[in-house]
Amino acid sequence: MNLSLISLEMSVVALGILVLLADLWLPAERKKMLGYAAAAVLGLLFLNSFTSHCSCALIGESAFGGMFVQDGLSVFFKRFFLLAAVLVLVLAVEFSDRIAAGVSEYYSLIVFALAGMLFAASANDFAMLFVSIELITITFYVLTSFTRGKVVALEAGVKYLILGALSSAFMIYGIALVWGTSGQFNFNELAIVAGDFASNRLFLFGVLFILVGLGFKIAAFPLQMWTPDVYQGAPTPTTAFLAVGSKAAGFVLLLRFLFSAIPEVTAQWGNLLIVISAVTILYGNLCAIPQRNLKRLLGYSSIAHAGYLLLGVAALTSAGQSAALYYLGGYLFTTVAAFVVIALVLRHLDSEDVSGLAGLHQRSPLLAATLTLAMVSLAGIPPLAGFFGKFLLLKAVIEQGANNPGYYCLAFTALVGVVISLYYYFGVIRAIYWSQTAPDLSPIRMSRPIQCAIGVCLAGMFWLGLFPGTVLTLADDAVKFLKL
Amino acid sequence: MNLEALTWLILFLPLLAAGIITLFTLRNKPVSATLSIGAICTGFALTLALIKFGGWDARELSVNWLSIGDLTVDFGLKLDALSLMMLLVVTGVGGAIHIYSLGYMRDDPGFSRFFACLSLFTFSMLGIVLANNFLQMFIFWELVGVSSYLLIGFWFEKASAADAAKKAFITNRLGDFGFMLGILIIFATLGSLNFAKLESNDAIATLGGMATLGGLLIFCGAVGKSAQFPLHVWLPDAMEGPTPVSALIHAATMVAAGVYMLCRVFFIFTPDALTVIAWIGGFTALLAALIAVQQNDIKRILAYSTLSQLGYMVMGVGLHSPEAGMFHLTTHAFFKALLFLGAGSVIIALHHEQDIWKMGGLRKKMPVTFWTFMVGTLALAGVWPLSGFFSKDAILAAAHEHNLLLFGLGVAVAALTTFYMFRLVFVAFLGSERTPEAGHAHESPGVVVWPLRILAVASVIGGVIGIEALFGGMFNADAAHPHGLLAQMIYPFQNAPVAAFSGLAAFAVGLFAAWKLYANAKSDPLPEKLGALSRAMANRFYFDELYEATVIRIHDSIAAIADWIDRWIIEGFCLGLVRGGTDLTGRALRLVQTGNLQTYAFLFVLGVALVLWFVLGK
Repeated sequence: MNLSLISLEMSVVALGILVLLADLWLPAERKKMLGYAAAAVLGLLFLNSFTSHCSCALIGESAFGGMFVQDGLSVFFKRFFLLAAVLVLVLAVEFSDRIAAGVSEYYSLIVFALAGMLFAASANDFAMLFVSIELITITFYVLTSFTRGKVVALEAGVKYLILGALSSAFMIYGIALVWGTSGQFNFNELAIVAGDFASNRLFLFGVLFILVGLGFKIAAFPLQMWTPDVYQGAPTPTTAFLAVGSKAAGFVLLLRFLFSAIPEVTAQWGNLLIVISAVTILYGNLCAIPQRNLKRLLGYSSIAHAGYLLLGVAALTSAGQSAALYYLGGYLFTTVAAFVVIALVLRHLDSEDVSGLAGLHQRSPLLAATLTLAMVSLAGIPPLAGFFGKFLLLKAVIEQGANNPGYYCLAFTALVGVVISLYYYFGVIRAIYWSQTAPDLSPIRMSRPIQCAIGVCLAGMFWLGLFPGTVLTLADDAVKFLKL
Repeated sequence: MNLEALTWLILFLPLLAAGIITLFTLRNKPVSATLSIGAICTGFALTLALIKFGGWDARELSVNWLSIGDLTVDFGLKLDALSLMMLLVVTGVGGAIHIYSLGYMRDDPGFSRFFACLSLFTFSMLGIVLANNFLQMFIFWELVGVSSYLLIGFWFEKASAADAAKKAFITNRLGDFGFMLGILIIFATLGSLNFAKLESNDAIATLGGMATLGGLLIFCGAVGKSAQFPLHVWLPDAMEGPTPVSALIHAATMVAAGVYMLCRVFFIFTPDALTVIAWIGGFTALLAALIAVQQNDIKRILAYSTLSQLGYMVMGVGLHSPEAGMFHLTTHAFFKALLFLGAGSVIIALHHEQDIWKMGGLRKKMPVTFWTFMVGTLALAGVWPLSGFFSKDAILAAAHEHNLLLFGLGVAVAALTTFYMFRLVFVAFLGSERTPEAGHAHESPGVVVWPLRILAVASVIGGVIGIEALFGGMFNADAAHPHGLLAQMIYPFQNAPVAAFSGLAAFAVGLFAAWKLYANAKSDPLPEKLGALSRAMANRFYFDELYEATVIRIHDSIAAIADWIDRWIIEGFCLGLVRGGTDLTGRALRLVQTGNLQTYAFLFVLGVALVLWFVLGK
């Protein structure tokens, strides 16, 4: 037992419980502060993670018989999740007037989901993997349909629940098969024997089923069906957290499973990963073209970005993995910024139609600029974060082209995807600045914290795009702990 | 912090001012003007401080700007006599023009925008002056192009101003293209763009056979920016901008950038290249002086005069004496800025009338403007002991030493200069008023006339305050240079008496001819006497028409073909097909997303089956 190793996770869980308890005594009008308080505590935890007092400093140690590890990869992702949760909580407070009842529960559920993500970052065996992923997913079932007065939210929740259950079923079945064939539960021990099972069909069957569960989390083809419906129906803060936190949690598990647990098997699967990555990119981008609903559009775009992230996985090199981590960093700031703007601008509208953005540059130049920059960054145009991330990913893929020409096709497909994406991202920008009719020109009011959150996102986008050094070093250090 | 770090401040303050004005203070005229004027005046003060405490010695400071592979580019500032003197000219003369603009642009709705553009221009110009490598110089070179475009086209609602801005920019780009090729040749052969490194590595020897070509391509940049034949056509049109712009860009700074650049990289020119440069300069000087004789617009006369004097400077550089070229550049900046600002003062007084034949008798109405204008004219004409005499003499002396043909040409141009300038003075300022407006004119306000007075003083003493010795010491350390006021005043007569007396004789001839023809003239007598030649001069020797018929027509037809290919083959066929296909696929895929949960679950499982088959099925 090494309890100090999970002190961060315990503090987060305690925070969640505290928020629930405080709800009992706080008067209704003060509950808003609860969200800010939770965000502040998480912000402090985030800052603390850079000091030596935090469990994040105990790199290389493990707890619970190797179930829980602390290494560069987990620390990178824990900071990522903390930052995402802070931004999402601030957004949730801004959104709270649209939540009929139980605002505090909403905050605490976000915190609990965060706890799941933190555990996922450190998960090093199948039990930990499954429990953390279920902790995340089940809280998200609730978060998705939290505005239960709205039919779309309920529908989204049900769809996510049923398809999520389906994927969990696949995963647990896969875990059973892998354990049944190899007898190993811990990733480190599995890695030792995985090579022997590389041609065992039953074992591979199990591995693929586990990948189905993880692929569902990150919304990779062919498991992406749920994404647009759930993104559209869920309350906007949930969508933001789903797009950023949940996807990254799936990603860290995927990285650890593929490259730490079964490196020998993964090494044979370059072609599978190439195909999945390429199809995911094309599917997400092509489907986004005709969309008019902003959240649905971002849903498809998040599928495409899962594809871009998979470029780094498919490259099977540490350069690719660190590029993917870097890309996730940029994706965090960009996506949160986009959802913040959507939540603020479309507050009084029933739909999230693109036309609602008309005249935004007059209503609030800051929000217009933020959304524009977010779109530009998602499209991958310098000097923003998205450009440098895509550059690193493509570089990693093209470097592998000498070994397998398929990588050249993959890089080409990714570029085609980028070109397609320019079309719909700039459609959004056009709606902001060049709409003919703008029905509502009233200025948009913003609270100070949400302005700070926007500032953080903008700074992050520019910082990652202009000064990639720091984060790239962090990402490089993080992927050193992977075996392939 | 050491003193040199102030240089960064000098360079970036105007940019800061431009940024703040554009972003925040467009509606607040006083603040905008204060920021812009404050930036340039601080620059002037800091330059003085640099010279006072650091002297004229050469020094460099640089930071690493970017490094891609083996290529590293430094962002460096070079300080030496050349750049410090140029800093003084740009911030000093520029500062006077900034202050003058306060009065000239007072009622313009774009007042703040004007000052933002002025500051941007100052920043770009300072960047050229301080650059320590070709790449940096080229970037600021282009920035000067952009900001001059903004300034010339400042009254863009006027079609002629918009056209003039476009013409200036495009003509400059033609020269810049050559400049860029030259830089690329140098980089390809020598692997470095830093001036100091190039100079110490003996660039000419390493370039070998390419040296002359490279030098001439570099010279192309100067041909564009300093408006030398055959790219001189943009400068007169650029007078469409507000008069302070004409003074700033076309007298003191932008056009001087070309000459400055030639001096900065003088080590790169072979003797052959220098001969070409000298002849192009001489030819431009003569051509422009001839055209100036038959212009009637006060600003256009000055514009052609600028062209002509620039030709002089380039000729000086080509005659192996960049110090003479720089000397003339400095004094010319004083008196030409003075003349332009004086013309501006006249133009305000006459409510934007620029035709000299509609003026007359302004001497009594506008005494300060007249007397300062007179000082500028005498300096330009090269009258001892005003500044123009000494700098012109330096060039003539160089010509006398190296090339007698060019010497004769230079003397002829000097006579023509005196002739057209006194034609302007006789017609516009002396005699009796020709129109009622000229009768109602009165002197401009203090903010306009004070810069005139300051520049007049500089024009008078500019020749004897040691500028020549400063440049001479830099380019030609061995030669003796006079010190002390009196020694400097009589130096030309001792050193090269032929050149000095020829210059004065040219002045006398020009003055006499102008007096004979134009004193109390009702209309221009020259067209009758010269006939076709006069018409050709008035029409600028038909260069615009020639370019219209050849270069522009060829360019237009190429553009039309390219447009057709783009519209029908690339856009219509290639893009249309791809776009239509992509759009269709997107719409088709959307049908899969039915919203039906059973369908989703089915597709989910189907997808898993597909993956299983892909991996295990083989």
